[in-house]
Amino acid sequence: MATTAQPRSVKHNHERPTPTQRGDEFTTVSSDHGLGYNLPQKMGRAFWQPMLAMALTFWAIGFVLAIIEAGTGRDDLATIQDLSNLVPAFMFVGFLSVFAAISFAVARILGAFRKGGGDVQETVGAEVQTLKMPLTAKAMLALMMMGMMVMAVGIALNLVAAGEYGGITEADIVDNARLAAVAEGLRRLGVALYLTGIAFGLGTIITVLRFQAVRIRELAASHGRNN
Amino acid sequence: MAAIALAGLGARPGPTEDHRRPSAYRKAGLILAVIGLMGATAASIGNLVAAAGIDAGNGYRETLAWTFGLSTFSFGVIKIAIAVILMGIIVRLWFRVDAVRESLHRLRGHPERPTPTGVVKTDWGAATVTDDIPKPLFIHRMARFMWLPMLAMGAMALTVGLVSSWVWAAQTPDSEAGRQAAAVTQGVEFLGEALLLSGIAFLLGTILAGLRDGGGEVQSDLGLPVTTLKMPVTAKVFVALMMTGMMAGMAQFVLYLVALGQAGDPASFSAWSNWLGPFRELALGLILAGIVLALVTIGNVLAFQFDRISSIIRTGK
Repeated sequence: MATTAQPRSVKHNHERPTPTQRGDEFTTVSSDHGLGYNLPQKMGRAFWQPMLAMALTFWAIGFVLAIIEAGTGRDDLATIQDLSNLVPAFMFVGFLSVFAAISFAVARILGAFRKGGGDVQETVGAEVQTLKMPLTAKAMLALMMMGMMVMAVGIALNLVAAGEYGGITEADIVDNARLAAVAEGLRRLGVALYLTGIAFGLGTIITVLRFQAVRIRELAASHGRNN
Repeated sequence: MAAIALAGLGARPGPTEDHRRPSAYRKAGLILAVIGLMGATAASIGNLVAAAGIDAGNGYRETLAWTFGLSTFSFGVIKIAIAVILMGIIVRLWFRVDAVRESLHRLRGHPERPTPTGVVKTDWGAATVTDDIPKPLFIHRMARFMWLPMLAMGAMALTVGLVSSWVWAAQTPDSEAGRQAAAVTQGVEFLGEALLLSGIAFLLGTILAGLRDGGGEVQSDLGLPVTTLKMPVTAKVFVALMMTGMMAGMAQFVLYLVALGQAGDPASFSAWSNWLGPFRELALGLILAGIVLALVTIGNVLAFQFDRISSIIRTGK
């Protein structure tokens, strides 16, 4: 029965990777061994699953609260006001988590390219060239973090409003409406930042695919049988 | 002409196309994403301006109506940008198949004995070893066929929703007509979002199909038995979540049309809105959860393929 090789778990004593002079647009570093996963990729491998579980849990809670809100008497203003803030807060913790899970899954794919590309070059016996983190990958990390923070502030404002306003007096109702408008704006900006970050992460995959298509042909030319 | 151009989107590049050439899909996708982000930012600023002006006499509902329309439309623009970049990934994966196939002819080792066919265990799940390239799965054929109509219908629904949000903004707040416009806007826009996300999910399915076909093509071209991962659990759950989310996205649209009939009764309409809002978000959430699992499956398939490439170089089989 054929089986594939176990992924390497042995740690090599890497020499420090040195910048490569490739003479094309790809900025790479060279090393004698594959560099394995970088920190964001390790985080991606560890965190996509808990984040997905968190998203499903918070959506379930948010939806149950929404059904309770729909069943609450229209004259019970205090309860309706509380729930009208709690429902979006829970639903958007779910969205924050699922967008984090998507970002981590994209980082995980980039990790597969980085580790796999390194392993192939090492197997051939060639110098291992690894792309330095492209600008689009850095933009992905920055946008993801900004999206998370902006959305978290919006969610926090909903929770503050739920705890703060009784929904009985006119001042309470006005203050709640103001806070809800700000919270909605921030939550939605957070979604847009996250989605844009995901687009940049996927754009990075195209760069990596381009580099690897070039690199494997270089390996065939330098280490192939006809040489 | 437009139909031919659309049919060529994400298609396998011809043998004369240059694999070194930068991707036009990537450039177009990133520009579109930034445009979408700018639209969403403008909508958020609109919300902040409205919040500053809200008082007992003015709820700024008309502003909040168009900001809802614009922000949801902007999300759609960014999702289309993501879809365009995914098309670019599909094209690049075919370049990768060609590069790996050509290179492995020169890099492969010499096998001592042939690999037996059957089912094998790998670190990424069970795989089949067959003499020929396995036929495409039904879900892969469906994904290749469905992604473009889904994206097109999603874009149309979102455009209708954006126009509807302007109608909503022009209505008197708390009027029956205002409630009707609100229901139509929310139902149509979230239908558009669900269709766009489904289009993205089908594109991810198309990527998985390309990885499966391409992997088979490379191994077969080398004269090797074809080792193909069996459909992993993550892929099966992805399909289930995506389909459930898509159906829920369509159901929420129908339910908003039902809620239209309640627009004359503010209390009843308010109760409907209380649960329909989170329901439509849940629909999108389920598709997004499916997308997470599709991406995880792609990561696993890539890791498996890199291992196969190393194995072919090392052992020739």
